[in-house]
Amino acid sequence: MKWAQKLLLVDRRIIFLLVFLGALIPILSPIGLIVQVSPPVRAIFDRVERMQAGDAILLSFDYGPSDGPELDPMANAILRHCNKKGIKVLGISLFPLGGVDMAFARMADLTRDLGGQNGIDWVNLGYKDGGQAAMKLMGEDFTAVFPTDADGVPIEEIPLMQGIRNYGDLEMAISLATSVLGEWWINLVNAQFGIDVAVGSTAVSAPKYYAYVEAKQAIGVMGGMKGASEYEELVERAYPDLAGLSRTATVGMDVQSIVHLVIIFFIIFGNIMYVLTQRTRREGI
Amino acid sequence: MPVQLPGFGEWVAAFLTLAVFSFLYRDNVIYRVAESVFAGISFGYYVGLARINTLQPNLFEPLFGDFSNHWILIFPFVLGVMLYLRYVPKLAWISNWSLAIYIGYYIGVNLTQRLHGEILPQAKGTMLPLAGEPFGQILCNLVVIVGVVTVLVYFFFSSPHRGPLKVTAKLGIYFLMISFGASFGYTVMGRISLLIGRLTFVVNDWARPVVQSVIGS
Repeated sequence: MKWAQKLLLVDRRIIFLLVFLGALIPILSPIGLIVQVSPPVRAIFDRVERMQAGDAILLSFDYGPSDGPELDPMANAILRHCNKKGIKVLGISLFPLGGVDMAFARMADLTRDLGGQNGIDWVNLGYKDGGQAAMKLMGEDFTAVFPTDADGVPIEEIPLMQGIRNYGDLEMAISLATSVLGEWWINLVNAQFGIDVAVGSTAVSAPKYYAYVEAKQAIGVMGGMKGASEYEELVERAYPDLAGLSRTATVGMDVQSIVHLVIIFFIIFGNIMYVLTQRTRREGI
Repeated sequence: MPVQLPGFGEWVAAFLTLAVFSFLYRDNVIYRVAESVFAGISFGYYVGLARINTLQPNLFEPLFGDFSNHWILIFPFVLGVMLYLRYVPKLAWISNWSLAIYIGYYIGVNLTQRLHGEILPQAKGTMLPLAGEPFGQILCNLVVIVGVVTVLVYFFFSSPHRGPLKVTAKLGIYFLMISFGASFGYTVMGRISLLIGRLTFVVNDWARPVVQSVIGS
């Protein structure tokens, strides 16, 4: 069948165009598909929900702008959740290319949306080189790693940091991570210091984190944009007054679903055409 | 209320985004310019960040501002400088000392970390009960145990894969394939997320305000 062979040789740019349209249309006109929450995401939400006002968590912005579409919505949802519960957020970054600025941007979003205050509700201690060395040293003394916050204010002068010396003074650590940093938070910080660790990871890295959740080394994992949309859903269900705020991951999942349908269509289509051409070849048509 | 045109930053970001997308049509000069700009800015950003966030507050300020209390920092400072001697051919061997200390430290850290934080807890995580649990849970536990054992057998190369070993290794391959499939599915989702992020920016932060301001005026 010559037509099947011709269709198999379709210009890949036509496929790019269809994927582009599949992504563009739901952005212009969101569909509002239902979000199903998975247990590993709910576990993180429940852990934060059990905390008391005045407790503190560490939120490590271990990602850069290229991972923003997946991890920014997680950061926004966690910061909103902590703000509603009165939980202090200690922001740091161990990822060089943009982590410290992602932290500033998300905390600025929080201040704009809910009025959180720098130094009282949240603090951005900035970026540090050294990965594992910095993680180990924070287990002894934050001041040794971060003598000042990202704006150069000495730690001793920051109200939020009063009474916080090391991991022992925090309820949990959440790493929004690309690369191997999320694994280090689990197999170094959780294993050696015992603090609860949760990871929000890019979708590419997500599968490996489920093994840590199964082994109870991490309390939960948010995998990519899907995980982010689930946390957004949980926060909005628990705090309906946040309904007006943006839910970029939830809108993004509409797009994901449509683009995935386009991809699935082409996989099935390509296989059918391949089978037809093979049969034609065998039958010598 | 009149719609504001996007700022200079949005115009630059939109141009660079479209420049990178242009590669989908074919390789071209604009794409390569955007690629080079990205590489250059990323490196410059990293150098500046390391100086302002790490070297300045953790090394230079304590060392030169309060030497008597922080004199010990002279050692990492000298070791750091020694690393750059690799650019002086006659003295390049000195940089190996710094590297030796650096590698030694990280081997020490990683050895404990992998053993204590990964191998032991993950091994413990596969020691699951096959009785006294709901049927569904037992089934899940069985899948985990069989999966781990068969994949380990697949990677056991000390004897030829024949007979029962071959069958077990084959089953291990199926587990690996399922795992690769899940990883690939997640990878597709991750890449689409990046596309969504860029398109959302181009549409909502750049194109929409431009169109609205043109129509509005």
